[in-house]
Amino acid sequence: MVVDARGSWCPGPLMELVRVIQEEAVGTEFELLSSDEGSRKDIPLWIDKAGHQLLQITNEPGFDRFIIRKSHA
Amino acid sequence: MKRVIVLGGGIGGTTVANRIRKGLEAEVAAGQVQIQVVDREGIHAYQPGYLMVVFDKMRPEETKRDESGLLHRSIQLVRAEIEKIDPAANKVVLKGGKELPYDVLVIATGSVIHPEAVPGFTEGAHSFYDLANAQKLRTAIQQFTGGKILIAVAGMPYKCPVAPLEVTFMLDDYLRTRGLRDKTEIHYAYPIPKVFGIDTVAQPMQRLMAERGISIHVPFNVERIDPVGKTVKGVEGETIPFDLLIAIPPHRGSDVVGASGLGDKGNWIPTDRFALKVEGKENIYVLGDATNIPISKAGSTADYEAEVVAHNVVAAARGESPSARYDGRVYCWIMTGMSQATYIKFDYLHPPHPPTPSFAHYWNKVIYNRTYWDITARALY
Repeated sequence: MVVDARGSWCPGPLMELVRVIQEEAVGTEFELLSSDEGSRKDIPLWIDKAGHQLLQITNEPGFDRFIIRKSHA
Repeated sequence: MKRVIVLGGGIGGTTVANRIRKGLEAEVAAGQVQIQVVDREGIHAYQPGYLMVVFDKMRPEETKRDESGLLHRSIQLVRAEIEKIDPAANKVVLKGGKELPYDVLVIATGSVIHPEAVPGFTEGAHSFYDLANAQKLRTAIQQFTGGKILIAVAGMPYKCPVAPLEVTFMLDDYLRTRGLRDKTEIHYAYPIPKVFGIDTVAQPMQRLMAERGISIHVPFNVERIDPVGKTVKGVEGETIPFDLLIAIPPHRGSDVVGASGLGDKGNWIPTDRFALKVEGKENIYVLGDATNIPISKAGSTADYEAEVVAHNVVAAARGESPSARYDGRVYCWIMTGMSQATYIKFDYLHPPHPPTPSFAHYWNKVIYNRTYWDITARALY
């Protein structure tokens, strides 16, 4: 599932991720796109706290791509 | 005759209808174009005013007006509940069976709060996302004599993402004025590891909280509220006690969206973020809270989007290319006290950089609130 949060300065890409993760089934993989530089720090931190899996981070021109798997309900 | 139907009489629906009418003034006057706004009650609510009601900065009656007085007299207001949209047949079906055919449809059905989705919310939490609860919270704050106040977000998405910050800072200031601040702990809980979604806003807001002695609990996602024991349990395992809880309820898109098969799991409508068309539908636009665009669900968003949608509806009606694009523009004030504010202004490409809070920014917000009905809603600019 692609979550294109580029340009989401308010509420922000991580808030978008928290929202969609709550709605989808365990095992779902998310491809989150973020143009907020803070995401490189925030998203791994939150994923770790929340107990989900961060599978990959890729730096693209102007944004970052995060691949995340929902690990639990 | 071409028929334009706007669903919803809030900020987005009202401004877009008035803008389309202005752009097609001659065509509407000649009977070549008909504009209808469908709204269940026909009462326009100025929702940004609810927080002001909590702190006696607006009176309850200042937050609503009859929609008929805001729409241009040539726009027809249909006070009716919508059953569903039938995109294949280009018609809107009303409760009771009446059908309204359209050539162009604009969906501005907004968002709906669902406090019942969080166990204990209705019994245990105060909120300010509707007028009745804003008034109850006002009373609770007036009667408050000290203790623990917790501000928490109980679900996402929610409209006006800065509102939890605002109520926190206003409360702090209000309690200092009443001489109750030293008898009160203020706790701010937010779902991510900082007090707001991006650093340029979170860092100055976190500094303000530190200066004002506000305790921060992050990340904290509300799981359930115990209205008897007066605690909130978070998904992350933390439990926070409170004497007064102010919580932001979860929001969903309108049921009409779901009944029409146009929404995602939260009834938000997949939307082209630039053209503001419903994905896959050439003659259906959507704006305001109803979209799934990952930016603020806020009045200014709806107003800026209305400019783009109206421009394109007018262009298409004249056989021109509907080439206007929404650039993600949003402008929101953030109250940082009872009489000071800052603001965030951004678009898809440029993040916000809130200026130092000041009385001048607060005063701009007051002026906007007071001129909303006669300038913004009527699309006079």
